Amino acid sequence: MKTAVFWGCRILTSQYAYEMSLREVLPKFDIELVDLRESVCCGDPIKSVNNFTAVYLGARVLALASLTGLDDLLVPCNRCHFTISEANDTIKNAKTGEKIKTLLREEGLEYNPNIKIWHTIDLLHDLVGLKKIKKAVTKPLKGLKVASHEGCQIIRYSDLGRVDDAENPKKLDELIIALGAKTVDYAEKLDCCGSALMYSHPDSALSLAGSKLKAVQNLSVDGLVVSCPDCQLMFDARQKDAGTTVGAKLNLPVVYYTQLLGLALGIEEKKLGLYLNQSPADQVITKISA
Amino acid sequence: MTRIGVYVCHCGLNIAGVVDVEKVAEYAKGLPDVVVAKHYTYMCSEPGQHMIQDDIEAQNLDRIVIATCSPRMHEETFRRAVAEAGLNPYLTEIVNLREHVSWAHTHEPEKATEKAKALVRMGVAHARLLEPLEKRKVSVEKGVLVVGGGIAGIQTSLDLADAGFKVHLVEKSPSIGGRMSQLDKTFPTLDCSACILTPKMVDVAKHPNITLLTNAEVTNVKGFVGNYEASILKNPTYVDAEKCVGCELCTKVCPVKVPDRFNENLTEKRAISIYSTQAVPKIATINPDYCLRLKYNKGVCGKCQDACEAKAIDFEQKPETVQVKVGGIVLAVGSEVFNASKMVELGYGRFKNVISSIEFERISDASGPTGGKIVSPKDGKTPKTIAFIQCVGSRDKRFHDYCCRVGCMVTLKQAILAREKIHENVRIYVCYVDLRAFGKGYDEFYRSARDKDIDFIAGLPSEIHSAQDGSLCFDVYDKGTSKLLEVHPDLVVLGTGLVPNNDLGNISALFHASRSADGFLLEAHPKLRPLETAMGGVFLAGACQGPKDIPDTVAQASGAAAKAIDLLSSGEIELEPLKAVVDKDSCSGCRICESICPFVAVEMKPEVVDGNERFRAEVIEAMCQGCGLCSSACPTGAIKIQQYSSRQVLTQVQAALTETCTEGGK
Amino acid sequence: MSMAKPNLEAREKILAKLRGRELVNCFQCIKCTSGCTALKLLELKPHEIIKLVNLGFVDELPSSDIIWTCVTCLKCVQRCPQKASPYHVIMALRNIAVEKEAKVPEGYLKAVSQILETGLIETPKKIVTRKMETVDRDCLKLPKINPPKENFQAVFTKTMEEK
Repeated sequence: MKTAVFWGCRILTSQYAYEMSLREVLPKFDIELVDLRESVCCGDPIKSVNNFTAVYLGARVLALASLTGLDDLLVPCNRCHFTISEANDTIKNAKTGEKIKTLLREEGLEYNPNIKIWHTIDLLHDLVGLKKIKKAVTKPLKGLKVASHEGCQIIRYSDLGRVDDAENPKKLDELIIALGAKTVDYAEKLDCCGSALMYSHPDSALSLAGSKLKAVQNLSVDGLVVSCPDCQLMFDARQKDAGTTVGAKLNLPVVYYTQLLGLALGIEEKKLGLYLNQSPADQVITKISA
Repeated sequence: MTRIGVYVCHCGLNIAGVVDVEKVAEYAKGLPDVVVAKHYTYMCSEPGQHMIQDDIEAQNLDRIVIATCSPRMHEETFRRAVAEAGLNPYLTEIVNLREHVSWAHTHEPEKATEKAKALVRMGVAHARLLEPLEKRKVSVEKGVLVVGGGIAGIQTSLDLADAGFKVHLVEKSPSIGGRMSQLDKTFPTLDCSACILTPKMVDVAKHPNITLLTNAEVTNVKGFVGNYEASILKNPTYVDAEKCVGCELCTKVCPVKVPDRFNENLTEKRAISIYSTQAVPKIATINPDYCLRLKYNKGVCGKCQDACEAKAIDFEQKPETVQVKVGGIVLAVGSEVFNASKMVELGYGRFKNVISSIEFERISDASGPTGGKIVSPKDGKTPKTIAFIQCVGSRDKRFHDYCCRVGCMVTLKQAILAREKIHENVRIYVCYVDLRAFGKGYDEFYRSARDKDIDFIAGLPSEIHSAQDGSLCFDVYDKGTSKLLEVHPDLVVLGTGLVPNNDLGNISALFHASRSADGFLLEAHPKLRPLETAMGGVFLAGACQGPKDIPDTVAQASGAAAKAIDLLSSGEIELEPLKAVVDKDSCSGCRICESICPFVAVEMKPEVVDGNERFRAEVIEAMCQGCGLCSSACPTGAIKIQQYSSRQVLTQVQAALTETCTEGGK
Repeated sequence: MSMAKPNLEAREKILAKLRGRELVNCFQCIKCTSGCTALKLLELKPHEIIKLVNLGFVDELPSSDIIWTCVTCLKCVQRCPQKASPYHVIMALRNIAVEKEAKVPEGYLKAVSQILETGLIETPKKIVTRKMETVDRDCLKLPKINPPKENFQAVFTKTMEEK
């Protein structure tokens, strides 16, 4: 099948491994990604400045997706997924909806409410399905034990209809188990990475990330698996700083699920951007090759 | 030609404060057929009523129109007054100038007065076409069916039986006693629950007027107020009740373990056992889902049968249905406890040391699984820190919006019991939002709890965590001190609310008892008629109508009994004539009225017409509530409501639309 | 201690920015604060913000630091038994802070100007791999980034005028 894809900002400007690994793994399930005609922000940081503009930008993404003629839109970033889903919901209000639609038309764009918004996790778990993934695995990740981190904005808030359950999210764990690896349950599973505080309180942001990393490291797992570029930024790119902030020596591999999936499908690690991870991701490769 | 008297009530200032009652009376005087038109401060008062009666005699009036408050208030009063003056009471028309005019249009007095005039004009038009009607008397059965054998059902049954009525008390579990028999102590007195309940349970078993049917459920109800017929299914216990002496030899030899429901599954018991230590009747029952002989039917096991000296075990026992005829029904089916596993973040069902309030009761009860010792279920040790968390599942738009009413008092009691049993060696926290101690002796009880070194934290935790070693931990912020506490409880007791029973949908359908928005059974009026349903002869008692504590339950139960006695004691009831009637000649037998009637008040009776069998609608007067749905749906106009035929209704419409307020006043 | 004076006009402005009036249903159960990710480190108390808005004590809120401490984890929205949603109230207060040109963290305003310029919140970066090599989109052979069409800037600016 074909699906439109909206990358957001982070994936395009620094989190290249996520794009690389997604582009590598999806064709293995006959999914073709169709880029939108332009790259633009979903509006997430604008929520703090002017919510109306943020809703506009969210609706605009759906309008851009509509130009592709496809019914599905993959949004791999948690924050983008939440922003666009909430914008979609806000437009149901007649007054706001009319204003937004009128403004979109000034750009020659038409809002489309019928686009199905996917995230990486439910696209793989619900649309592709665990059975297909298990079948496609050529190099089961035997011996690998990891902790999963779905993040906040794809599990909350339930009333909006999210990707997974807010109190007991299982989909990422099941996706990992489908690759032959094991996952652990841990008390800090639903804790936030803190990325939203980087603009205003970077120390606190790093403290939150560091606390979680410290707790995960203490579980004696082989790595932490994420599916959002902002979470990855905090846990991977900023791991050293986070460790300094909480006074811990952190040495935890942090990888995208799609990178793990790629490894299990037998895709070359270079193509999955594993060398771009700042955390010691090669430890994961060593573990599964053993 | 009719001679109509119109009386406009001031209702103090309730009507007269907005409507110009004098003008309305003056206007009425000018309407055709109106002979007398007066206004007065309180028409419902004695002088007001006398005014009408005197005019009926002096002016030979044959129709009375009273423009006053809602007919729900005083229609009966005025009808009686009119009847006393010798006029048929159903020749009275009430026009609502209060709820429909002065209260609805308080800020538009001029328009309100015009509307009042229009409504009076309509009332007069209707009055012209009113017909004299008579109440009908129907004899009733002097028996009552009580559904549910908890404290509500028990109290109602005893009151009815003592008043000389035959009572059929049906309880679906093997023993009566319900929720109250599971409690350790009761608030605010800390009476031992079993001590105050079991004498009543024994009274029920012994009372000559009460037929007790346990392990039974009602499967069908037919009939109408005063004349109900119910089918009761007696589920087999596989033990002969006449022979069993309750010695429990059978239980000792049974090899099969089953979850003990009475102890909230905190322990196991045997497939054959007596339901609880204070069970009434004290008879063993076999659980067919677990019993080897009953499941596999191959002559296996049967150890209980061998052991029973009274030869009471009967694996061949069959279900039996009995029919009873009663005049009234009291629904006392109780409520359930909120399933806290729905609130995933609190860990109920995942963490063994997080328990519900009813589980705490069983632990605290001397007849429970721990012999009354307060212990943490995980390791059986005495907890050093106990945390109670309020409002679990209640006041929560995600689960149940209402306040469960008893949660605060239950927790206070349990906290006090914990202190009394463990003494000073335990830290007790109560995390609350609003502590509701509203009843007699309740706030004093709250004070006694504060006196016992119990820490009241004004705030709820968001979630409960379990550390790697299995110990529990949660953060809670206290409003009063603005401090964040980290609590490490060995036992967490969730203040789980009371919720409607799972089978309430079934009960609702069976007895035609509606449910309110919160899911409980709906009372006829929340303030003035809390013990009756909208269905005549079906009454409510206890938590099935809404969560409540024991004092309120007992009060409501006695009240429901009084209502039933009120209904049935004279041996007959009078039926209001404002019901549907069928003109058989116009009835085509299409059955639309039968299908549309919400009160099951229309029956199709077969008749032979010109050698063909036809069905004609017939109204069961006692069931009909006069709602008029049939009348509006009937394609031939064969079925109509007395006083509200098409003609009688359309004349009012015509009066409203085709005449003006100036015309009449000529 | 000075007397608190409610500012009902300012309160209405805040309520007008919200999708519903559910915050008036808050009965201070404190679950939001007990579970707030930002409480321990930054002392954010969502229940207090809701109460301040409910009572109209809102003059100081937009210019406070506290409204910028929210991590947007959405736990308070998820768990609130009355759907009062402190997160949305905090976002509304931030919008008012921007309107009033109060203390807005620079990063947000930078994001706005960057979006106007290129459509994204930052320009594509060169990153350093674990093997200390520098890479960018081009050498990774990733597709080119297309900026938004001409009308975007004008309409974007228009939306910023909608309060």
